[in-house]
Amino acid sequence: MNQASRLLSTYTADVSGVCSALYELGGLTVMHDASGCNSTYNTHDEPRWYDRPSMVYISALKEIDAIFGGDDKLIRDIVETARQLQPRFIAIAGSPIPMLIGTDFSAVAGVIEQQTGIPTLGLATNGMHDYLSGISMALCALARRFCHTPVATVGSHQPSVNILGATPLDFSITGNIEALCQAFQSNGYEINSCWAMNSDLDQLANASAAQINVVVSSSGLALAQWLKAQYGTPYFVGIPWGKQGAEAYFHALKQTLTSGQDGCFYTGIASQSSGKQVLIIGEAVNASSVKAALLLQKGWGNIQVACPFVENTSLLDAQDIALQDEKQLRQLMEQADVVIADPLYRRFRKNDKAQIFVDWPHEAYSGRIYRQQIPVLVCEHFDLWQKGWLKVK
Amino acid sequence: MDTIKIAIYGKGGIGKSTTVANLAVAFAEQGLKVMQIGCDPKADSTIYLHQGQPIPSVLDLIRNKGNDFALNDMVTEGYNGVLCVEAGGPTPGQGCAGRGIIAALDKLAEKGAYEQYKPQVILYDVLGDVVCGGFAMPMRDGHADWIFIVTSGENMAIHAAANIATAVQNFQSRGYAKLGGLIVNRRNVAREMEKVEELAEDIHSRIVGVLPHSPLIQEAEEQKATLMEAFPKSDMADCYRQLAGQILAVCREE
Ligand SMILES: Nc1ncnc2c1ncn2[C@@H]1O[C@H](COP(=O)(O)OP(=O)(O)OP(=O)(O)O)[C@@H](O)[C@H]1O
Ligand code: SF4
Ligand SMILES: [Mg+2]
Repeated sequence: MNQASRLLSTYTADVSGVCSALYELGGLTVMHDASGCNSTYNTHDEPRWYDRPSMVYISALKEIDAIFGGDDKLIRDIVETARQLQPRFIAIAGSPIPMLIGTDFSAVAGVIEQQTGIPTLGLATNGMHDYLSGISMALCALARRFCHTPVATVGSHQPSVNILGATPLDFSITGNIEALCQAFQSNGYEINSCWAMNSDLDQLANASAAQINVVVSSSGLALAQWLKAQYGTPYFVGIPWGKQGAEAYFHALKQTLTSGQDGCFYTGIASQSSGKQVLIIGEAVNASSVKAALLLQKGWGNIQVACPFVENTSLLDAQDIALQDEKQLRQLMEQADVVIADPLYRRFRKNDKAQIFVDWPHEAYSGRIYRQQIPVLVCEHFDLWQKGWLKVK
Repeated sequence: MDTIKIAIYGKGGIGKSTTVANLAVAFAEQGLKVMQIGCDPKADSTIYLHQGQPIPSVLDLIRNKGNDFALNDMVTEGYNGVLCVEAGGPTPGQGCAGRGIIAALDKLAEKGAYEQYKPQVILYDVLGDVVCGGFAMPMRDGHADWIFIVTSGENMAIHAAANIATAVQNFQSRGYAKLGGLIVNRRNVAREMEKVEELAEDIHSRIVGVLPHSPLIQEAEEQKATLMEAFPKSDMADCYRQLAGQILAVCREE
């Protein structure tokens, strides 16, 4: 029973990751599912739904379609819709039923593209992997399809960056991505593109023009590796959280830029075994950047990241942990003096008033419930947030 | 008398549909109301009971009409009053045939087929092996009570029969159908009867009937009829009649 979650909720799935990544790019995104994925996505996973239109649809797969394969109907419906809406591209993402009956998404995409002349991406998500893999799959498919070799540009001598792996699922819409872009600009970088918030498809297509790629969540890593293989662009992992953090961050980023060697903000900023024990639960890059921001301040030494995504741990430091089950989490939380995590993890708080629990809501976990409390952490915003901690218990 | 519900399994092409259709006529000759349900996307189980004319399958009806069709659209009366139903299913290589069988049998029950027609014998003719849950549907509670497996002495047929017997065995704790026995549809291979007898022993079952290989079957098919219709006086027709009697005896034993 170790694998059973009695108290924990689940993170958003790969299908929502695809939709979230493609939301702002003018494409037609179709979830191939009965309807469940649709309501989960628009009610819980997509904060932009009410303010900003996007062509996200559901195929409304019925039992009889599953029995007969339903590919013809899916193709017909998408072709008809695409002819009316004229999207820049079409993306089809799968769910559990198509996985079980073996729907061939790339073949279906090929047929649709032939009939409409619109670039079509077949994304074989199945609703059983985490959102990060969905984002990653969508971003890579976009890049393979749209990125072109650099066109000579005249103008600025400032280095430019692509930000990779930015979606509201990890950064919400409370201002983090805007503050992040500003931080880059005030440190002498131009934003070439941001994958995929606040940039349009043409900016993304021009990603090869950047001098460096910045991976801000594990969902951006595969894309960074692809861009490196294609254009030789080095990448740097991490987010400039905290004032001291940002200083170290931009210092290390510059090194990557000059050396051309890939780098990471937080590896090498080691945790000590003494001092208050801090546990940070979250996505690998994000939580590790919080850890680094703290370690770079005085008085914080013993910090561990617990990452709930066993599939997305390649960016974790060696001392950090990929969470396997609730039992393991319970043990980790018992030992911690300070826990920084989504408020839904409060259920595991030990009955010890001395433990400080810092609410760090994560859109991909608790959705809109605590959105108003989602802090901006870029540069000194982090330090302001931190000042509030001692007030909370 | 309780309805006798029988599912016929066996390796692909071994002669299930031929055997079931001829058995259906043999039961009907005894004055029993028979319903034959083809559980195979090919929808060819009952074809020689209605002069080779295709009938609308349950899944085609659902696909084209939703729920807007009547019970008698799914059930066609064939030779000697045998009630013919074809579950239907996707074209090969697409969709999920197993789920299709489940949906078709559910629809049949939902529309009251069993209560309206009150068949005394129901025969389920099930495709090939039990590859997934859908193909085990006919043996679930509420459908067949008895399973008979058609086999010859060919190794592949014996192997398939052993697999099916294992599946039936595994489902015993769920109260699914019981194994009634083996039907030998002869192909005249070496040591044929001996091999099937060995199989029967291995799976703790018995042989309930032996059907010779008969060229009359193909001749009947040329006339788009079952052998029972085309050559009712033939020895082969008597073999089917005898088999029908043995099957009834097994089912009534308990
Ligand atoms: N006893 C027999 N003598 C001669 N031919 C036979 C006999 N039984 C079946 N056949 C022939 O074998 C062929 C396959 O039979 P049938 O279609 O009944 O097999 P099946 O098990 O239902 O196949 P499938 O698994 O494809 O549904 C048919 O052409 C039929 O005429
Ligand atoms: S194996 Fe069975 S359940 Fe799976 S897709 Fe095929 S028919 Fe459907
Ligand atoms: Mg058949």
